Amino acid sequence: MLRYLVHRILIMIPTLIAISIVIFTIINLPPGDYFSTYIAELQSSGEAADLAKIAALKMQYGFDRPLWQQYLFWVGGLVQGDMGYSFAYNLPVNKVVGDRLLMTFIVSFSTILFTYVVAFPIGVYSATHQYSWSDHILTLLGFLGLAIPSFLLALVLLYFANVYFGISIGGLMDPRYLNRPWSFDKAVSVAAHLWIPVIVIGTAGTASMIRRLRANLLDELQKQYVVTARAKGLHPLKLLFKYPLRVALNPFISDIGSLLPHVISGAAIVSVVMSLPTTGPMLLDALRSQDMYLAGSFLMFMASLTVIGVFISDLALAVLDPRIRLQAGRRQ
Amino acid sequence: MNEVNPTRREVMQLGVALGVSAVVPDVSGAELQETPFFLQDVADGKLPKVDDRIPQEPAVAVLASVGTHGGSLRMLMAGPKDTRMIVVYGYARLVGYTPSLDLVPDILRAFEVEDNRVFTLYLRKGHKWSDGHPFTTEDFRYWFEDVAQNPHLSLSGLPISMLPQGEGPRFEVLDETTVRYSWKKPNPLFLPDLAGPSPLYIYRPSHYLRQFHQKFAEKAALDILVKQANQRNWAALHNKMDTMYRDDNPDLPSLEPWILKTRPPSDRFVFEKNPYYYRIDTAGKQLPYIDRVILLIADNKIIPAKTGAGESDLQARYLRFDNYTFLKAGEGRNGYRVRLWRTGPGSQLALYPNLNVSDETWRGLMRDLRFRRALSLAVDRHEINQVIYFGLAIEGQNTLLPQSPLYIQKYRTDWAGFDLREANRLLDLIGLKKGSDRMRQLPDGRPLEIIVENSGESTEQSDVLELIRDSWRRIGIKLFAKPSQLTLFRRRVFSGETLMSIDKGIENGLATAGMSPWEFAPTTQQQLEWPKWGQYYETKGEAGEAPNLPSAIRLKELYAEWLAATSHDEHAQIWHEMLRIWADEVFSIGTVAGVLQPVVVSARLRNVPEEGIYNWDPGAYFGIYKPDGFWFDLSEEPSKSASVAKTPETPR
Repeated sequence: MLRYLVHRILIMIPTLIAISIVIFTIINLPPGDYFSTYIAELQSSGEAADLAKIAALKMQYGFDRPLWQQYLFWVGGLVQGDMGYSFAYNLPVNKVVGDRLLMTFIVSFSTILFTYVVAFPIGVYSATHQYSWSDHILTLLGFLGLAIPSFLLALVLLYFANVYFGISIGGLMDPRYLNRPWSFDKAVSVAAHLWIPVIVIGTAGTASMIRRLRANLLDELQKQYVVTARAKGLHPLKLLFKYPLRVALNPFISDIGSLLPHVISGAAIVSVVMSLPTTGPMLLDALRSQDMYLAGSFLMFMASLTVIGVFISDLALAVLDPRIRLQAGRRQ
Repeated sequence: MNEVNPTRREVMQLGVALGVSAVVPDVSGAELQETPFFLQDVADGKLPKVDDRIPQEPAVAVLASVGTHGGSLRMLMAGPKDTRMIVVYGYARLVGYTPSLDLVPDILRAFEVEDNRVFTLYLRKGHKWSDGHPFTTEDFRYWFEDVAQNPHLSLSGLPISMLPQGEGPRFEVLDETTVRYSWKKPNPLFLPDLAGPSPLYIYRPSHYLRQFHQKFAEKAALDILVKQANQRNWAALHNKMDTMYRDDNPDLPSLEPWILKTRPPSDRFVFEKNPYYYRIDTAGKQLPYIDRVILLIADNKIIPAKTGAGESDLQARYLRFDNYTFLKAGEGRNGYRVRLWRTGPGSQLALYPNLNVSDETWRGLMRDLRFRRALSLAVDRHEINQVIYFGLAIEGQNTLLPQSPLYIQKYRTDWAGFDLREANRLLDLIGLKKGSDRMRQLPDGRPLEIIVENSGESTEQSDVLELIRDSWRRIGIKLFAKPSQLTLFRRRVFSGETLMSIDKGIENGLATAGMSPWEFAPTTQQQLEWPKWGQYYETKGEAGEAPNLPSAIRLKELYAEWLAATSHDEHAQIWHEMLRIWADEVFSIGTVAGVLQPVVVSARLRNVPEEGIYNWDPGAYFGIYKPDGFWFDLSEEPSKSASVAKTPETPR
């Protein structure tokens, strides 16, 4: 087991290096760089850009050097914890990202909680009551949730929330609480704004989770050991929770791997539509304007989280599911 | 709203040395009144009294109505870079345009011009920066000698508009409030550039910036500052701190009406009124009336929705004409009014045949005057106006708007009628034969299919192209629209891959004779009709191609003549000649202009004109209407999203 652990940790290093090369290449693939995009933007809106100042900036940030040197410069900084400089914000990347991480975490965590709280009971219920009318209705709702584009749902909810509850459109709190220290009122305001993004981002996830849980559980419910337990007169609820449900949970554990980066990145499109102060819109903007250090460093951060997440979920699976542990043992 | 002044145009017509100065209306009857916002600070001794804060000769604003102090103005912006919009709207400039487009002294008490060569600027005595430090000619000297001519800070030296025909000015400090710039050649670009929305700043808060300047700061202390700010050297640090236009440094002293108080990054930027602002109203109240300006950052696609929900007190940026009905629906509920202002571009959208296209056959055709005229005649502008702009726009060529003093109707209407017969006749004359499908062919037998590229930013362009496609089909020409992406789009035009493009018309449809006619001559690569000729001019012949079309060469010569001219009459004459050539040659095919811009104004906000021009330069959007004179009528019932209702105090 220990050897397996060390092996897994060591293999993360070349993985991350490969990812960093891919990220850097892709960001540099489109023609031009941040400054040419910036000049084009300014000029298309009629503003004149200060070309001399931009030329000075380009030299300062080494845009005139070959790509491989720029890459090494960037990676060298990353290793030392320096994520580079954001041109759009005119600030170090650390500072730009810092503020938004907490908000992203709040939104994503609430969303995941919402998803679990809603999806779990429904999934279990519709599996145990397969093909009943209530199963059909819940299934229909689930498919609706999957099918409705979340940005559309966001717009509709925003509009009605504003008209009927007077909640300001977009954002995570009333504008007057921005830039203020946390207080009770501020927390209330956040809570009042939070439900819309949580429902919108959560709906699609909820629907797919219901479907997966239902399918997994149905598989298990047909199995011999369930029939045996039932024949022995075990209470149906106790039976359900003690055996088939636990087995049906496996896919959710392996989901942790993708969950971690999701918590940090948030749902970009919905966040853009609802103008949430999360990291998603920031990343999208950075990619569009070719703010390469901001985009690159942030993607790298997310990639590291994914790699770590997968590692954790592998470990958790091995701990939780005896069948997987057997296999690992055999390899050793 | 504007100050009472002799117009510069009248002055220049005399063609002799003459001064222009702000005539101060009689305010002796009105005592200076302390601003309530600063009462506490004055009582605590943190700020001097208002008499000592304003210049000894303040600018006196004659406003439509004298207002009361107070309130917060909320506006929505799309990104942190948009903090610069407060500098644009604030529009405190050395000289500035009035709504009738006269150039008058603003921060300056007066200025004198001799032959467009010698410019003497008079500052106001006792004028102070927002931190209370005197604003003097030393600030001009600092910029001219220690910033603009320092090779570390300014790689290419003085800005272009201070180098007429490559020569810099002689700079003299006459006394604490007088500076003089003298050129050997006329420099008509100087004053308009000082009045620009993104102006030429020829002064800096030297007392603040010195600490970042190698020449003045102690090396050890400066090194620490550089390190703390994570910059590579002192020049980078100086540039980072010196952001008068971008306005993202709350420590940088300013002359603007509102001063940034929030340190980026943030999604909410608070600007507070400048205690040392140089303008007062006729009742002796120091401007600006409004205490705070609050910028909320939201995605630009959600801004119309937020505005419609009453979350902005003054909004035009990021609103489009097609949001009008939605905004109008929320008027009553959310306590705002929607006004429609005219926009300034010469054409909302214009087609640009690329005269520098790489394909030789096509290039010949694009340069054929008859071909361009035929294409223009086959655009049904009336239909475009009715279908897309509710018939509210002005149809015609891509040229000046009727509001410009240089406007002559013929510039707009020539070759802009809808005449398919004449268009067909012209095409037949060129010898473009129709094939079996009744579509025309190029001389070398290829089908005559024009691909019009655009930056893919709005659906408006595709809608207009759809209409043009139908009418062009009737003269045997096929049109295909190809949306692209902004950077890529420009790159393809520049390199000659693009046959034709569609984009905004000329920027300044409101030009006066004193403004530069650069948009009508090949002067920059950004001009989609002749990018290579423009590049040739821009790079002084190092890149691009020299123009070889007689009319374009003539335009270029005329532009040079305009730069060298000294009198208003000469300038006007050159303008007219250029406009005539432009109209005759149809270098770009205009559609409609003067499309209306929705401007959402809080129902309690006063002094915002009912009708206005929403334009970048001249105009600075709200700038020429001087928002420091806007005020909130707090006596009226506040709406549900009250901006003034108890906004928690900003820590100052």
